[in-house]
Amino acid sequence: MFDAHAAVLTPIETLILNVSLLFVVAWPMWVAGKSLRPTNDFAILALLALFATSGRILLDPLPNIQPVTVVVLLVGVHYGASRSIAFASVVAISSNLVLGHGLWTLYQVLAWSLVGIIGSSLAEKFRDGDSLSISRIGLAAFAAGFVFDWVVSISALHSIPMEKFPVYIMVGLPFDLAHAAGNLAFAAWLTGPLSEIMTRHSSQREAVVEPVKVTY
Amino acid sequence: MSDKVRSLSLVLLLLVLISLPFLQDRVNREAAKFVSDNESAHDGLPIEWNDKQVICIFFPFDHPHVEFSSGVTMIGPDGVVIGVNDDLNSSGACVGGFLGYEDGMEFMMDATRAAGGKLAVGYKTNPNWGEWVHTIGGLNENEIQGDFNGAYWSLLHNGGYSMVGIGNLVMSEGDVISWEIATW
Repeated sequence: MFDAHAAVLTPIETLILNVSLLFVVAWPMWVAGKSLRPTNDFAILALLALFATSGRILLDPLPNIQPVTVVVLLVGVHYGASRSIAFASVVAISSNLVLGHGLWTLYQVLAWSLVGIIGSSLAEKFRDGDSLSISRIGLAAFAAGFVFDWVVSISALHSIPMEKFPVYIMVGLPFDLAHAAGNLAFAAWLTGPLSEIMTRHSSQREAVVEPVKVTY
Repeated sequence: MSDKVRSLSLVLLLLVLISLPFLQDRVNREAAKFVSDNESAHDGLPIEWNDKQVICIFFPFDHPHVEFSSGVTMIGPDGVVIGVNDDLNSSGACVGGFLGYEDGMEFMMDATRAAGGKLAVGYKTNPNWGEWVHTIGGLNENEIQGDFNGAYWSLLHNGGYSMVGIGNLVMSEGDVISWEIATW
C-alpha cells in the first residue's frame, strides 16, 4: 500500500505546500465574499477569521510572519474597536488550538486587541479623501509588529525578574523586525482586497467608500 | 505606485529574512554579556570543574531519573562518575569539566552524550522559538501532570533564567547551564 503520510517534506517544500494551501483557503473566501448580501459584516468577519487563523497556522514555518496583525488592524479601521477585539480573541484562541495554548494566549489577545483599538482610533488618519492610504496603513502595520511583540513579551515577567526584561526585549528584536517587515508586506498586498470586501459589507457604510490608493 | 510599494515590501521582507540569522547571532552575543557571573554557579560542584563548563539536569522528586535518583551524580567529561553530592536538595546529574564551547546546543549534546545515553536529549525545532527541549534522560515534559496547566524543561544559565533558548545560547569559559522542570 502507498502511504502518503510517509512522504517527508523538506522545510522549503512544507512552506510551498502551506502557502499553496493558504491560497486555496483565501480564493473561495474572496469569491464567497463577492456573493454575500451587502451589510452582512458578521459573515465577512467569520471569513476573515478563518483566513487569519489558517494563515497564522500555515505560515508557522516562517519566523514570526503571519497575516493576523494586519487583518486585525484593518478590522479595527473598518468595523471599529469592539469587533476587532472579538475578532482578535477568536483568531488567537482558534489558532492556538493548533500552535499551542497557554498563558501567552491571554497576552496575544490583549496585544492584538490593542492593535485593533489603534486601527479604530486612527481610522480617520488612515483615510485620504474617500480611500485608505496604503503607505499609512503599512507604516502602522510595521509599528504594530513591535507593539504586539512587546505586549506579548510582558508574559515573560511571570518567569524572569524585571531587571532582565530589557535584555529579553533586546534578544527578541530580530524577530520583532521580521514581524514588522511581514506586516508591511501583508499591508501592501492585503489592504486593497480586504478593504474592498469590508467596505462592501459594512453595516455602517460610511467607513471607507472607495478602494485604497497610495499616498505619502 | 501601489505596485512599487508591494515590490519594495517584498524586497524588504526578503532582506530581513536573509539577515535574520546574522542579527540573531549579534543580539545573542550581546545578551551573553548580561548573564550572571559563573563563580557561585559552581557551588556544590567538584573543585576541579572551577573555570570549566558544566551542564546539570535536575529531576523533580516525583519523577526521579532511573539511575540518578539519589543526590546529584557528578560525571566527568570521559563519562566516569566522580562522586555524588547529597547536599544539593535535588536529584539528578551534572556532567562537567569541559573547555572551549561557545554554542549551547553543541555543548549540551556533547556533554549529555558523555554520560552514555542516560541523559539523552529529545528536542524539536520551531522557527519562532528555536530548539525546544522536551525530553531529558527519559523524562518528557508531557508526563508531568498536577495542579498546573503544563510543565516544561526550563533552562538556567549560571543560576539565572536564560533569556534565550539552548539553540541561541552563547557560552563562556566556566559557564554552568542547568535544566529543571518548571510549570505554568
